[in-house]
Amino acid sequence: MSARVEVEERVSFFRTYVFSIDHKMIAKQYLAIGLFWAVVGGLLAYLLRWQLAYPDTEAPGWGFIGPEFYNMLVTMHGTIMVFFVAMPILLGAFGNFLIPLMVGARDMAFPRLNMLSVWTLALSSLVLLISFFVPGGAASAGWTGYPPLSAKPIYTGVNWGLNLWILALALEFASFLMSGINFLTTPINLRAPGMSMFRLPLLVWMQMTAAILFMLSVGPLIAGAIMLLLDRVAGASFYLPQGGGDPLLWQHLFWFFGHPEVYVIFLPGLGIVLEIFPVFSRKPIFGYRPIIYSTIAAGILSFTVWAHHQFISGMDPRLAMPFSVTTILISVPFALMVFAMIATLWGGSISFPTPMLFALGTLAVFLIGGLTGIFNGSAPVDIYIHSTYFVVAHFHYTLFSALFFAGFAGLYFWFPKMFGRMMNEALGKLHFWLTFLLFNAVFIPMFLLGAGGMMRRIANPMQYEFLRPLQPLNTFATIATILLLLAQLPFVVNFFWSLFAGKVAERNPWQANTLEWSAPSPPPHGNFDTVPVVYRGPYEYSHPSVSEEWLPQDRPTMPTATA
Amino acid sequence: MAQTHVVATGVEARVASGIPTGKMGVWWFLASEIVLFGGLIGSFVMSRVGSGGWSEMAAHLSVPLGTFNTFVLLTSSLTMVLAFAAAEKGDQKGMRTWLLLTVLLGLAFLIIKGFEWGSEIGAGFTPMAGSFWSFYYTMTGLHALHVLGGVVVNSILFLSALMGLLRGREHRVELAGLYWHFVDIVWIFLFPLLYLSWTKGGI
Amino acid sequence: MARELVHPNYVAVWVWLVALLIASVGVTTLPISTGIVLLLIFAMAVVKAILVALNYMHLKSEQLLICAMAIVPLVIFFILWIVLYPDIALH
Ligand SMILES: [Cu+2]
Repeated sequence: MSARVEVEERVSFFRTYVFSIDHKMIAKQYLAIGLFWAVVGGLLAYLLRWQLAYPDTEAPGWGFIGPEFYNMLVTMHGTIMVFFVAMPILLGAFGNFLIPLMVGARDMAFPRLNMLSVWTLALSSLVLLISFFVPGGAASAGWTGYPPLSAKPIYTGVNWGLNLWILALALEFASFLMSGINFLTTPINLRAPGMSMFRLPLLVWMQMTAAILFMLSVGPLIAGAIMLLLDRVAGASFYLPQGGGDPLLWQHLFWFFGHPEVYVIFLPGLGIVLEIFPVFSRKPIFGYRPIIYSTIAAGILSFTVWAHHQFISGMDPRLAMPFSVTTILISVPFALMVFAMIATLWGGSISFPTPMLFALGTLAVFLIGGLTGIFNGSAPVDIYIHSTYFVVAHFHYTLFSALFFAGFAGLYFWFPKMFGRMMNEALGKLHFWLTFLLFNAVFIPMFLLGAGGMMRRIANPMQYEFLRPLQPLNTFATIATILLLLAQLPFVVNFFWSLFAGKVAERNPWQANTLEWSAPSPPPHGNFDTVPVVYRGPYEYSHPSVSEEWLPQDRPTMPTATA
Repeated sequence: MAQTHVVATGVEARVASGIPTGKMGVWWFLASEIVLFGGLIGSFVMSRVGSGGWSEMAAHLSVPLGTFNTFVLLTSSLTMVLAFAAAEKGDQKGMRTWLLLTVLLGLAFLIIKGFEWGSEIGAGFTPMAGSFWSFYYTMTGLHALHVLGGVVVNSILFLSALMGLLRGREHRVELAGLYWHFVDIVWIFLFPLLYLSWTKGGI
Repeated sequence: MARELVHPNYVAVWVWLVALLIASVGVTTLPISTGIVLLLIFAMAVVKAILVALNYMHLKSEQLLICAMAIVPLVIFFILWIVLYPDIALH
């Protein structure tokens, strides 16, 4: 079947840690890049919140902020969190680490392409980092980079900062296009014997859907970004009305990618949660196939909803109704998935270690994010709340749930597999409760501010008479932000302490079924001692025919259970 | 801190879907490329319909040169697929010849295109000369970059075939061919969009 | 393992491609209305593209998944075209 030559080989330091082609090391490199940018993005959040609570005062540890610098802060906070934290961690780290292990392969389909993709991201990160230090500072036209504001340097006073921003994004897209090829080809072709598509763990399905969505939506934006760059540096006028261009074109190209991108981030997060729930409720997942079909349906629909970001952009009003309808429609598959998650928990013998707490937190936070999305999706309501803090609160509830809660759930859950040691439970639980409470303390006030009419993208709410009575809410959110950032310290301590001094992890510390738990912790280059053979689906917990509560996919004890 | 471990060399010959892994990778790449050019062409078509007056601009392009270049690229697709056919038959010499021809035709396309750009810029039609020209340079430029990439890939294949490194890896000719034909298809649409849609004061 | 690819007559396909190229240039010189010219030249472009895809890229004899990877992206960017039409073409 598989012709494989095993060679005992001395691998140099560089080949092991730097230019590695091992998917697990590449995953760790993605994780390192993502965590680095998470720190930067968090610091930007602190500064911009400071400006909103105490406008035009000295921020402790930094100094004066002011409106221009504030624009840069919001722009870069959004860019970094979406493209340089969420994607590297949720796709780059978890996708790379888990896909080959979960499908029972020894590596990705194209290991060298994989290395190239992480180094392209590193280059992209470098370009973005440099953009902070060029004259004029980093990009400040919003993370969506709407023209005309972004199309002429004189409009924002930022020249090279924004050009480098476009370049960094282009490199980032190239990097994840390369990853996408691996994420799709590996599960389709390198599955272990017996691992049919409908025995794949749901996380693999989610990563595959995310990869397809990314690869099929980013192209027009790459073309659009080239056009924006030409507007800026070559005097073209794709988006400038005075030269015959149309700024709406950019909005379409951006959101045609931008909406699927939400699911590119969100689905892998959902996949993490779906892996964790059955393990800690000791029950099979409820509705394995319906979840897959819902994912595919959501993926298809996600190409038909993007103009809900443009209800007040001057877009043709006849488009508002169809896009409202598709947007409301896309909540159906997600509602189904939420029901499946609740039904999985229902009646289970649930335990609450840290990964489970974060997974439950994801569900709770996403519920609020998803429900408030229905308000935004309906054009008549959106016209009132668009460009207010209601929207800011809404998308933080959706993206924070995937990135922060699901991301941490995954880290606590797979840390033993990644690094061979367990993380500390007490610190983990402290981290969860502080994060959960403080997150809500930051963003619930923003719903209220938005309903009160506070606009996005203003550097000083105190300039507006009608917003002054709401200022205590801003101050409250800012203090909560600072505490939320400080609440990550238990995690930092836990992470580094566990890395070197944590309890040594066995192969299957959580008594889970999927294939990665059959490999050593951490798995060596090549992953498995012998190629695993798969006998059943991934979620057969508390099966009546075995005494244990779990039944790994590759244990050949009982006659083949039909999937 | 050098490490020793068991390294899996040689790609596992596992092909669960029946589609060779390399071919599937190329096709996923092409799928994303289709959307890229589709988005760009769509932006051009819609802007052109919406603006009017682009036909006078388009009339400045050289139809004879464009037609000849299309002929060059179509022919290079033929030589590429003949290289693949030769590779499949194990005809190393034929494969090398057809690969070399494909590379040369690709270069010819780029040289002619470069000459066209030169004369257009010389006539004052720079990318700043109006929306049509902005789109024209963006679309043909992005396409030419793809041609250049194909020329590089085919040259590498040709050189490794010369050095005998391609033996046993002949399927790479097919993979490079898929990309090359895709680039050809893009041009098949760019040619009428840019060169031929100017007739009689049309849009 | 991989299915055997059917080998069409590659040179005959090329002859068709060149003939269509000449025809599409020729059509633009005919005394017919612009609408019909546009229709004809783009119809011929589509035929040429299909000829290359089916014969040179072997979609004729490829598996369903590969064909889907070629067709689904077309559908997706057509959705974008449909929405761009009222906003950009009719603005
Ligand atoms: Cu959206």
